[in-house]
Amino acid sequence: MKSRAHFKKARCEHGAALLIAIFALLLISVVAIALIVSSGTETSLASNYRTSTSAYYASLAGLEEGRGRLLPTSLNYIPLPANPMPLTQVIYITNPAGGEVVAPDDTANPTTYPDTQYKQEFGVDVSSRIVTKYASVSPVAGLPGPVYKWVRINALTEKSLGNGVTGVDVNNDGDVDPFTPLFYDPANRTLGGAMSPGLVETPTPSATALQALEITSFSVLPNGSEKMLQYLVQPLVEFPNLTGQGFTAALTLAGNNVQYTGPGTNSFFINGQDHQCPPAVQVVTAGPMVTAIGYTVTSGSDSSSGNIAAGAVPAANYLGAPLTTGPPPGPSTGSIAFLNTMNGNWLTPTGLDAVVQDITNNADSVITGPTTPGSFPSGMSATHPMTIVVNGDLDMNGWRNTGYGLLLVTGTLHYDPDATWEGLVLVIGQGNFVSTRGGSGGIDGAVFVAKTRDTSGNLLANLGASSFSQTGPGSNVGRGINYNSCLVNSAMGPITYKVLAFKEIPLAN
Amino acid sequence: MELMIATAIFLVICGAMFGLLQLSQQKYSSETQLSGAFQETRLAIDQIVRDFNVSGYPARSLFSALPPDSSQYTLSPVAWDPSYAVSPCFVGTAGGGTCVTPGDFDLIVETNLGNGAGVSWIRYQLINTTLYRAVVPKTAGGDPVAATSAAGAMVPFLTNVMNNPSPAQLALIVANYPGMFPGGLPQPVFKYTCDTAAGPLPCPLAGNDGIPSNIRNVDVALIVMTRQPDMQTQQPKLVELNGRGRRVNPSR
Repeated sequence: MKSRAHFKKARCEHGAALLIAIFALLLISVVAIALIVSSGTETSLASNYRTSTSAYYASLAGLEEGRGRLLPTSLNYIPLPANPMPLTQVIYITNPAGGEVVAPDDTANPTTYPDTQYKQEFGVDVSSRIVTKYASVSPVAGLPGPVYKWVRINALTEKSLGNGVTGVDVNNDGDVDPFTPLFYDPANRTLGGAMSPGLVETPTPSATALQALEITSFSVLPNGSEKMLQYLVQPLVEFPNLTGQGFTAALTLAGNNVQYTGPGTNSFFINGQDHQCPPAVQVVTAGPMVTAIGYTVTSGSDSSSGNIAAGAVPAANYLGAPLTTGPPPGPSTGSIAFLNTMNGNWLTPTGLDAVVQDITNNADSVITGPTTPGSFPSGMSATHPMTIVVNGDLDMNGWRNTGYGLLLVTGTLHYDPDATWEGLVLVIGQGNFVSTRGGSGGIDGAVFVAKTRDTSGNLLANLGASSFSQTGPGSNVGRGINYNSCLVNSAMGPITYKVLAFKEIPLAN
Repeated sequence: MELMIATAIFLVICGAMFGLLQLSQQKYSSETQLSGAFQETRLAIDQIVRDFNVSGYPARSLFSALPPDSSQYTLSPVAWDPSYAVSPCFVGTAGGGTCVTPGDFDLIVETNLGNGAGVSWIRYQLINTTLYRAVVPKTAGGDPVAATSAAGAMVPFLTNVMNNPSPAQLALIVANYPGMFPGGLPQPVFKYTCDTAAGPLPCPLAGNDGIPSNIRNVDVALIVMTRQPDMQTQQPKLVELNGRGRRVNPSR
């Protein structure tokens, strides 16, 4: 009886353990799901922040690629379609991810990252412009780079500076002009004559004005996070004179009581006649002409003119402006002249120091002297000129090669006439150019010498007595200096594209 | 009998599980608060850095002829007080220098945010333990401090910021985080680096170059406390985050 009752009770409890187990499992599942959900919320918060920051830096990378590729010395140089670049032309650098199409000028297609911002700035669709596209060099060796989609490079106007809202009246004429490209003129002056560097709105820019450009970068991350950043840039070119680019003398000796000693041989020339491109051609051609040797101080007590004339013999080897009259026009002999159009910044130690700083900050190679050309970087060539700065003395004796580009020496330059330099040689600092050897090389371009520091390295109040001395033995002391505007302008840059402004353009999402 | 045993075992398991769950819940709650504070601080630093990066647009150097209305351009990437627009002050720290702003807990940048409002003054100021943010349009001849201090201009941006706590709070925090407050002193939210001829230097050491228009970098350090103390230890929990803004636009 007892056994039957127990059996009956046991039968009633059948399945209770299962129910309890299921209940326990449900409980555990609810707790686990709650944990997963809250953890997921944290993850998405962090993800949003990360993608926003990633899009910002991707866009910034696009800006830097655009800015870097505008430099002629860049291996992936993007030449402007015209100089100045007209508003009707637009350059894009596109950077599609694998398998996608990036066509910013196809504004009717929302899947190809259309550039609708352009219309806000210029009032016309970018598809109506002449568009040139380049591929990004961001992916390296198959590895993906920053995920910006495109970079736009174009001229800018007062209206476009406002990004479609209000423009910027850069010349305060009461009109925000939508049609005239802007230039940056570091030598701009007010009507009263005061220096007022800035953006100028003019269809006829002065010789010192260089076109400002707008670089815009747009990035989109896979999750749709977008960012658009913009630079306004100006080409940084050091301009030694106010009437045109380049130099107005084959050899410029800046400062007070400058010294010149020539070799006095018939094979050595300082020639202000422009030797045209290609630089290998060394024949004299008719063309724009500059002074053979120029000086910058002409006060009554200054001996610069007399010192140069005494050393520049025979006079027939110093050819250049001013032109002689009568047909056919030819160069003057004994071409030695006061340079009256020099940029004031190139006539003071502080101004020239700033020039040296600009060049140093953007040089391909900065070498501490005393040193020799053995320290020069490799890869310098006619098609890839370089900017080399030697902080101290440079001894070129024994170097029988050719250099290309801009060479800046702040100490004494010991030049070997067996060496050739195609471009610009600046000796700013101690202001000593010395050559005591023979050779068959020469300098094609221009040379500028200025003494801005004393022997202890302190900046002088006024330019000191710079000196040029080439006194090699015998009659073969090199070809001398042959002015070449092509090589000079190439060496002068722009050495960088300086950022005038940086801003983030608000997007709808 | 079987039911009783199963129930007993179930209750024991449940008890253990809920005990563990409560522990982990407390831990989770503390960590959630900490990560929340971390997240808010990161967003705050990001915003400050972005605003500083674009400060100074459009600079005076963009104009070949300055408009008479000074609200159309930035006088300096960083506005200052006293004598704004008349003569610059010198940036100091811990009460040094002559600037009231920019200072350890106060920064006003000038820039055009591209929102159609023209040039704006954007101010970050730590008052007690709340970091406030104000964005007001720049006005010609106006004073950035007065404009951003007007009623309704400043809005709370980040709370529980402990860079400059009360002495009692400071003592409590230093006891738990001795390395976070060197010397037991308040920690600046903003530290500045100025451009000089010798390269960038901390503004208080930059001599005559230590003026607001020469500020190139701002180092932002935010020390933020969670809203509730740790549930297990009942001690305050803090996070410290650092960021750096770098101005790209020209000084003038």
